[in-house]
Amino acid sequence: MVKELEGKVKLVIKFFPYRYRDYARIAAEAAVEAWKQGKFAEMHELLIKNSPRLDRESLISYAKELNLDLERFIKAIDNQEGASIIERDLKLAKELDLYVTPAFYINGIKVLGVRDYDYFKEIILKELQNAKKK
Amino acid sequence: MLRKSNIIFILSVFLIIFTLVNIDGFASDKKKKKLEPLPPPPIPKDNPMTQEKVELGKKLFFDRRLSGDGTTSCATCHDPEKAFTDAAEISLSYPTTRNFRNAPTLINIAYASSLFWDGRAKTLEEQAEFPIMSAFEMNQNLEFLEEEIRIVPEYREAFKKIFGQELNIKLIAKAIAAFERTLFSRNAPIDRYLKGDKNALSEEAKRGMEIFTGKGKCIECHYGAYMSDQGFHALMVPENPKYMNEPKFITTRRYVAKINKYPDYMNVKEDLGRYFKTKKKQDYKAFKTPTLREVAKTAPYMHNGIFKSLDEVIDFFNKGGGEGNKVLKPLNLTEYEKKALKTFLVEALTGEDLQIKPPEIP
Repeated sequence: MVKELEGKVKLVIKFFPYRYRDYARIAAEAAVEAWKQGKFAEMHELLIKNSPRLDRESLISYAKELNLDLERFIKAIDNQEGASIIERDLKLAKELDLYVTPAFYINGIKVLGVRDYDYFKEIILKELQNAKKK
Repeated sequence: MLRKSNIIFILSVFLIIFTLVNIDGFASDKKKKKLEPLPPPPIPKDNPMTQEKVELGKKLFFDRRLSGDGTTSCATCHDPEKAFTDAAEISLSYPTTRNFRNAPTLINIAYASSLFWDGRAKTLEEQAEFPIMSAFEMNQNLEFLEEEIRIVPEYREAFKKIFGQELNIKLIAKAIAAFERTLFSRNAPIDRYLKGDKNALSEEAKRGMEIFTGKGKCIECHYGAYMSDQGFHALMVPENPKYMNEPKFITTRRYVAKINKYPDYMNVKEDLGRYFKTKKKQDYKAFKTPTLREVAKTAPYMHNGIFKSLDEVIDFFNKGGGEGNKVLKPLNLTEYEKKALKTFLVEALTGEDLQIKPPEIP
């Protein structure tokens, strides 16, 4: 949808590693490092596609697949270099009283849980319409 | 020995009595099948309402301690901002799992004579325990929950003060039920109209009401103050294709079939509704008749959220329901009749916002 409505919709992704999932935290670290190396979207895609295979070795194999700097990647996930970013997002979620994943805010409209393309499209088109009026 | 004329006389008397009984029954059915203004909610004798109990129940309703991982409260799926639903086709679920049915609104739930789409709970008190312990909803252990609540001094004291005893899961459920009984429609135009304010409805809504009670036959199942016959019907609503092949959805459906001791649970390919529970032929794919009060705010519709708008619901009924159903017949409503019917549903049945805000959780 971001591609379809290019220039009109901005997607901002925040981290919310579910605290009772073994690999959620390290997967978030992997995503942060991929972002630093300019491959966030690609890594995000791989994480979603391959979940729940998100253990350290699997993450390294995904980094390899994306041609990331492996030495940097391994150092980053092992030393939790993305911790400050992840903690910042977790704090924001807490402030917003969000506990359910995935959670979305579309121009302030809260949407919780998995929804289909049409559901988002309807809200987004309405919001674009409202923005036009303003 | 009875003479032939005596036998005929006795049979005639029986016939007259039988006819009268049936006319009476018919008349009372007819009498039942009308719309009525909403009375105050019924309160069970063993759970009287007090302001303090309602406040306690409200806190528990919004408290995430009620879920195993502390992420989910009753309000997650019954969100006051979404007319006490979660506005999802298939209700939200415990993290990493999938629910398999739509979350019904809690507005006016005090009037329901059974709870859940399959009616498996008879009272709100009984109902409250199910989602708390359900593996794919809140996934909490009830005995553990008692201790999680007991360790909070404010809760412990409140239970002692309100119930005069130490808290337990039954009292937790009673408090939540008491809060839920306060969630009823306020000042809906239909109530004002039925109490005599003939200006409470627009002309189109009045026409819609005529269709509702007449040609549309909605009144056959949606009557009384609660606008439901409180029964179960197999309208053969299609399976929602979006979830049919989703492994987590299938897992949950199998699990529900299994815990209801449905013999062939591993091969169940559809939601069999109340049949899972009762195994009675008449309950095969039957689901509870929901109230239509506040229906404009509670999309998407049906037990699997397959219809996203009232237009789609009206079209479904207009064409005579789902394939193979033995309950509905095509209605042949015109475009205007469908529009008026929708106007009635939206305009007449929507009460004022209940203005429920999340409380401070101790």
